[in-house]
Amino acid sequence: MRIAFAGNPNSGKTTMYNALTGENERVGNWAGVTIGKKESPIKKEFYDFVEEIIAVDLPGAYSMSPFTPEEGITSGYVRDENPDAIINIVDATNLSRSLFFTTQLLELGIPVVVALNKSDINEKQNTEIDTEALSKKLNCPIIKTVSTSSDKTGLKEAVNAAVELNGNGQKAPYLQADIDLHDKKAVEAEDRKRFDFVNKIVKEVETRKVLTKERNSQDKVDSVLTNKVAGILIFAAVMWAVFWISQSKVGPLIADWLVGWIETFQGWVSGLLENSSPLLQAILADGIVGGVGAVVGFLPLVMVMYFLIALLEDCGYMARVSVVMDPIFKRVGLSGKSIIPIIIGTGCGIPGIMASRTIRDERERRATAMLTTFIPCGAKIPVIALFAGAFFSGASWVNALMYFVGILLIFLGALLIKGITGYKYRKSFFIMELPSYKLPSLKRACFSMLERAKAYIIKAATIILVCNCVVQLMQTFNWKFQVVGEDAADTSILASIASPFAVLLVPLGFGAWQLAAAAITGFIAKENVVGTLAVVYSITRFIDTDELALTGGANEVAVTMGLTTVTALAYLMFNLFTPPCFAAIGAMNSEMKSAKWLWGAIGLQLGTGYTVAFLVYQFGTLFTEGHLGNAFIPGLIAVLIMAAIVVVISRRSRQKFDVEYSLHNKGTGASV
Amino acid sequence: MNLNDANVGETYIVEDIETDDEELKAFLFSLGCYSGEPVTVISHLKGGCTVSIKDGRYNIDNGIASAVLIK
Repeated sequence: MRIAFAGNPNSGKTTMYNALTGENERVGNWAGVTIGKKESPIKKEFYDFVEEIIAVDLPGAYSMSPFTPEEGITSGYVRDENPDAIINIVDATNLSRSLFFTTQLLELGIPVVVALNKSDINEKQNTEIDTEALSKKLNCPIIKTVSTSSDKTGLKEAVNAAVELNGNGQKAPYLQADIDLHDKKAVEAEDRKRFDFVNKIVKEVETRKVLTKERNSQDKVDSVLTNKVAGILIFAAVMWAVFWISQSKVGPLIADWLVGWIETFQGWVSGLLENSSPLLQAILADGIVGGVGAVVGFLPLVMVMYFLIALLEDCGYMARVSVVMDPIFKRVGLSGKSIIPIIIGTGCGIPGIMASRTIRDERERRATAMLTTFIPCGAKIPVIALFAGAFFSGASWVNALMYFVGILLIFLGALLIKGITGYKYRKSFFIMELPSYKLPSLKRACFSMLERAKAYIIKAATIILVCNCVVQLMQTFNWKFQVVGEDAADTSILASIASPFAVLLVPLGFGAWQLAAAAITGFIAKENVVGTLAVVYSITRFIDTDELALTGGANEVAVTMGLTTVTALAYLMFNLFTPPCFAAIGAMNSEMKSAKWLWGAIGLQLGTGYTVAFLVYQFGTLFTEGHLGNAFIPGLIAVLIMAAIVVVISRRSRQKFDVEYSLHNKGTGASV
Repeated sequence: MNLNDANVGETYIVEDIETDDEELKAFLFSLGCYSGEPVTVISHLKGGCTVSIKDGRYNIDNGIASAVLIK
């Protein structure tokens, strides 16, 4: 049997789903975290029957008529897919709004069980709900639940109640009159009656000591966090703290321990291979163990960051950030809703891009999906950490700086998109529910962190391992499959493939084929940049075991790569702000649903990465050495060509709009 | 007057939602923001305000606030 979980946004559907199924779907304390349907069997301990029960988690909705795209999934599913029962999760602290949707669900004829979730908060506020009276009025069982509690209060009762009703129909307490659904006035009149019905019930079953409209202590916190100046400073400080803790304090501490193990393992492997061919030694010990080890060494930094982001998502701060950012984002044609994909994108770009689905306006949604990956994701952390350690003595500000440069690029990119898509400034509305703050769950954060660690290790052991082997082989052999000598490294397969690309990068200050090769493998997975650098330069000790500092032989790394501080920064930024990995490009494709937009996105990202690196290198060199860098003119020409393309495209699209508009006029003229 | 002109902490009654955007109107309706219902402004911010509708708190921008006519 299948049980659908439906209810208002942020009523706790996914938390209950996770508790019942043992799954680990994303939860967060704001409206619109779940963006797609999820299914999984409920654990046996939560029901007393033999048959398997599948739970179906759905995105939140306020009513059966959808407002944003993901809300449509919910009404579509309960209406068309005939689940055997519905558990309607109701936020017990907002009964007066939630029951509107409940009465709609009760009309479908599918048995409904109402789970009065967050009942613990009601107890704290001395709000009482007479569940027996409510159950009689709605003709369905009402179970008080607290999904976040350790004993899973009420969950078993709710599932069992749903199973018992299986096969029964549902008698609706309120039936909408038979009206023409295209008649807006009639529909509104009916909806009013429905709300009147709900209001009457709420008045009878609920006793409140604290009225919601009264200003409470949370509102005082809100007034600081959403203040136009303080709010932005606090947001900056919070994000800086996330990076400082994960990249400079706790992360490296654990990384140090881990790298010790990796080095021991590498030594052990080298020992085993002592008598075998030097080639095999190179491939196994340096290529596979060294390259993958270099990437895995940064895992703790990513884990700690995930832990902190999970805490942020859970406490209710995200909704406030989007409020404070809304006026700023509006100026560039986005809205506060775009900040949520961006923060999620700090962990991984793919869920970040998918989170853009909650944005209602299509242009805004596509623009957000296009720009989200300018925020350095978890996979780029190793790259940043490596360069911060080697060239900026492990400074934690490098990561925070890259984050804020990312936000700046999102602004500029959004402005550009606004310019290109042009004229039609459709009025975008912003409305965001402000959920109550809550103490974030450490258990959840740990789960989120471990889940990420698992994914990271799997990636390292598969994609990155394979890439490193391929890179190692391509570097070892030339096209005639002869082993290249140390003095003839430039004749290897890898060198001959990467060299033409390296030429293009000369105006950016890093024309070495090794660096070009690393940047290219970065498109498969960004961690590959670190892995490939480790392989091509045979460096593996990126994290010092003695000093707890990132990269022990910082100078050694810097010298081997032949980069100055300025070129290193240019190279780092090039890798961060070029197109993301292929998986993220795939996610962009599925969210944008338009080849034109997808290619536009890739072009924009390539152009941005190139231009940013060009500017950093040329002006950086000018400031530090008093003269422009190499190949300024060719680089400038390349950048100008890109700018010209943007101008041409935006002109064209504007003209097209004009033509469309005039055609439209002609069309209506002709028909009259 | 509309929500932008409302005094903080005072409860008003919604008179009308003035917008061509039918979906937005329906959405506000599903939250309980429609003519005849009470609404309270908790605070005014740059670019919008925080309001209490039924038992929920929402932040809305000036665009929506000016569409909610109150008395």
